[in-house]
Amino acid sequence: MSELTYFPGCSLKDNAKRFEDTAFFVMERLEMPLRELETWNCCGTVYSLTADDLMHHVASVRNFVRTQETGSEELVTLCAMCYNTLSRVAGRINADEEERTKINAFMDREPDYGGTIRVRHVLQVLRDSVGWERLAEGATRPLFGLKVAAYYGCTLVRPRETGIDDMERPTVMADALEAVGAEPVVFPFEAECCGTYQIVDEPHLALEQSGRILQSAALAGADVVVTACPLCQHNLEQAAESLAADVEEIRDIKVVYFTELLAAALGADEGSMTPVVRELITSRVTAEGGA
Amino acid sequence: MTGPEFAGLKDGYPDHMRASIAKVEATRARRLKEGTLAPMSAEARAEILENWHPDYKADQKREVAVGPSKGARMPHEVADLLEAYPAVDPSTIDLSKPDLDVSILILGGGGAASVAALHAVEEGIAPSDILMVTKLRHGDCNSVMAQGGIQAADREPDSPAIHYLDVLGGGHYTNKPELVRALVEDGPRMIEWHERLGVLYDKLNDGTYLEAHGGGTSRMRMHSAKDYTGLEIMRVLKDEVLNVGIPTIEFAPAIDLLLDEAGNTAGAVLFNLETEEQVVVRARATVLATGGFGRLHIQGFETSNHYGATADGLVMAYRAGAGLIDMDSVQYHPTGVAYPAAILGQLATEKLRNQGAEPVDSEGESFVYPLEPRDVESAAIIRQCYGEDRGVETPSGIRGVWLDTPMIDEIHGPGTLKSRLAAMWMMWHRHGIDITKDPALVFPTLHYQNGGVEIDAEGRTAIPGLFAGGEVAGGVHGKNRLMGNSLLDYNVFGRRAGISAARWAKEQASSGSSGLSLKHVEDYVEELKSAGVGTDRTAPMILPDYRREVVIARRLDAL
Amino acid sequence: MADEKLTQIYIMGKAYDVPVGVTIMDAMEYAGYRFIRGAGCRSGFCGACGTVYRKAGEYRLEFVLACQEMVEEGMHLTQLPFTPAPRSDYVLNELDPRENVLLQHYPEIARCVSCNTCTKACPQEIEVMDYIQAALRGDVAKVAELSFDCIACGLCAMRCPADIKHYHVGQMGRRLHSIANSPMPDHLTERIAQLEGGTFDNEMNALAGASLDDLKTKYAERVIEKAVTEEVTT
Repeated sequence: MSELTYFPGCSLKDNAKRFEDTAFFVMERLEMPLRELETWNCCGTVYSLTADDLMHHVASVRNFVRTQETGSEELVTLCAMCYNTLSRVAGRINADEEERTKINAFMDREPDYGGTIRVRHVLQVLRDSVGWERLAEGATRPLFGLKVAAYYGCTLVRPRETGIDDMERPTVMADALEAVGAEPVVFPFEAECCGTYQIVDEPHLALEQSGRILQSAALAGADVVVTACPLCQHNLEQAAESLAADVEEIRDIKVVYFTELLAAALGADEGSMTPVVRELITSRVTAEGGA
Repeated sequence: MTGPEFAGLKDGYPDHMRASIAKVEATRARRLKEGTLAPMSAEARAEILENWHPDYKADQKREVAVGPSKGARMPHEVADLLEAYPAVDPSTIDLSKPDLDVSILILGGGGAASVAALHAVEEGIAPSDILMVTKLRHGDCNSVMAQGGIQAADREPDSPAIHYLDVLGGGHYTNKPELVRALVEDGPRMIEWHERLGVLYDKLNDGTYLEAHGGGTSRMRMHSAKDYTGLEIMRVLKDEVLNVGIPTIEFAPAIDLLLDEAGNTAGAVLFNLETEEQVVVRARATVLATGGFGRLHIQGFETSNHYGATADGLVMAYRAGAGLIDMDSVQYHPTGVAYPAAILGQLATEKLRNQGAEPVDSEGESFVYPLEPRDVESAAIIRQCYGEDRGVETPSGIRGVWLDTPMIDEIHGPGTLKSRLAAMWMMWHRHGIDITKDPALVFPTLHYQNGGVEIDAEGRTAIPGLFAGGEVAGGVHGKNRLMGNSLLDYNVFGRRAGISAARWAKEQASSGSSGLSLKHVEDYVEELKSAGVGTDRTAPMILPDYRREVVIARRLDAL
Repeated sequence: MADEKLTQIYIMGKAYDVPVGVTIMDAMEYAGYRFIRGAGCRSGFCGACGTVYRKAGEYRLEFVLACQEMVEEGMHLTQLPFTPAPRSDYVLNELDPRENVLLQHYPEIARCVSCNTCTKACPQEIEVMDYIQAALRGDVAKVAELSFDCIACGLCAMRCPADIKHYHVGQMGRRLHSIANSPMPDHLTERIAQLEGGTFDNEMNALAGASLDDLKTKYAERVIEKAVTEEVTT
């Protein structure tokens, strides 16, 4: 007689007892008796399979509450990952009153979130509130002759609902740099993944991804790749460092945050720049007239 | 604030108290303009003390009938403990087999104990050779609840000599000069030590300390950390004791000292409050840092003190032969909470006054210079309530005077009180009172043991191997301590006692240890009997008992 | 007192009639408890009397200090006698405040999910989560500012789903901030040098040997320094 380890579940011990009793009888007869697990707990029922991850969003929603408290209607961010998270939470919670009520109830004795905070990335602000013309006017040190590859990574342009630009052919970062005199180069890996957190446990994966991005930018003629995410920045820098010896194209390519170049263009003191940016400004930027 | 107890209160106060507050508000602008009353002359001080300070009531004290300071006058409540039988039962203890054996045993869990422990380590004793034992938790003490500040003469316009004079005058010139000298000269170095430990004293924008006056000071030298000064120092000290790894046993107060056959202090018997066992600790040196006596409720006063302030150390040292000094002098802090009754007697820091809150009577008039030394200030408040009949009566029958706390923000700008006196704001806020808007009611509360076990400048007592520092020790403050000098006291003399203990312990290491003895306790019992002390009182008290008579009467020891 | 107004509360599940208008601590003693644990300074500074209660009919828990909070009808309460929170030892002067030392010593702070339960458990109205978030960023100045009123009662640590030991993080952060951002004032160093160099010895010796009359005169002649209004750094 071979025994089967049996999980009853809550109902089978209660209102469905006759279901279990008759099953026991049948399986005994068939010489495959059911032996109940000595210690068992509720399986969580179908609820545990739901995608209800509402409580995970408390962190973001609390930032919206804090934003409300300042009287501001929008929250602007710089890190692409934070932008992605905050804008997606805002999108969901602002649109769904029931979810908003639930999360407010969970946060209990804190001010309620009203569902009206808007999340924007600095690039959106530059494009939509400042405008390229005004940005161009502010460029006291135009970056003429500097060939820039604008690298968007994943989280700025995806998903479609919150992406700050077209995810197939984004241009906003390139536009910003073009406004201050730089020459954007087009390259196919501008919105491909840098490898993200793989850099921690499986670094070769991230380095491979990032290496491809750098190589592509270099082959397109870029002097520098600009990023909008600390993790992308880190991965591309790591790739540049570890692959420079083996991959000729990327030996000279630099990686900086897009704002570092904007700051340089808008007249930042050379003393405030990193050596990399300083070098780009002095050696790659020409004195006059680009396109 | 819902519930029947809050019915009829407007922002925390009942109507008749609001009527008095209205008078305070009516005079505020004038009082701000005119400034405070002038300090009293020496003659006026003497007169007010004589007539109104609780210490001067002869029938509240008696001469203690036994012991090394036999004949000394002290409050009945203290004499009752000295004229009491030991709790320890020598017949149930095997002194030949100590449970623990250490170089230095430190009795106490507050500031002086922690400072002594840390300096003993700096003096070369291994942390594992030290043991701190405490009645409650490490940090449950008077040190942690000191609020307003610690004195140290570190500013250019100030000097140790000026500090010395302030201390001596405040103490009525009865202080032991060498102790005062040690206190004031060590002040700056203790602050420096705190800085190196990472204590966060309030500083000005230019990086210098924010220093204020206290009652009886002639220079501003009170260093504070908001009104959490005691807490800030104590928690850093405790953190450092933990980092250094000095062992501590909590909830195990000492109940008698042990001597050896040569008459040296040789450790103590502890009482584990949780298992109720007696524990024998042998030690080469013992530091007494057991703090004060507020829970004796002298003359029935409420107290600002922590739960365990029951003069245990005094009792043990006295039995072992250590003389006491200035036990006839008890400090009442002028401003204990008088309303609401729920927190009666809890401390309201002198810093409220040094930041500008004047004492004001029921008619809205000021009646005393706000920063007299504490005995004078207390006497003045008692006189105003019971002599001049211009105290404010609370629903519970307690009388008090106002501290006009809204003056603080008027003088220093909005937000000052909430930031510099955060604890005070919180304390009354919990009862629906906003002291930035309304004055607070205060009355003297039993606060500090001015005297204690007599020590020399190195923290040595009359008994070889027994050292003492902090509130338990006497001679530093004379008949009246100034604000900020008790935090200084426990640092200066905690350090000196710790160093002296370390040096003594090292010397003892080379000599053999002779047997442990409780004979001094037996002799004391004999002396009590000869003096005709017939009582079932035992001492030390260990903890006060606030259960009602009716509950105690129904108790049964059946477990 | 026969005419005392009484109200019913539940101490660890048992009903007692206690007076209206007293603290939880006083009410427990009235009921017949004699504290061993659960009472310290009795004034709101030591954190010994952390108390958890709920009101009758309510499901939410409240967190207060027994020595400060007044009883209310229908309170169901218990105390927190001890918090077994592990603490990381350190040698202060061996730490580099430029590194994120707090994260190194308490890596679990990275598990903070921003639920704010710690803040809601604090009887001192401290923004506990905010100082943990500051600790995550290595901002010890903010940790010190926000955690200053902490009395280490342990209620936050006992409630945290990520098992963070907030008050230990705060304590370390404050000492770090003091060393990193609040240097020793020059006047203190100068005064100590003077003391060690004997600048005040003659004066002190003279005072030590002065007669009582002399001292009284000197004391009476003291000029009291005038208090000033000053701005404190935050």
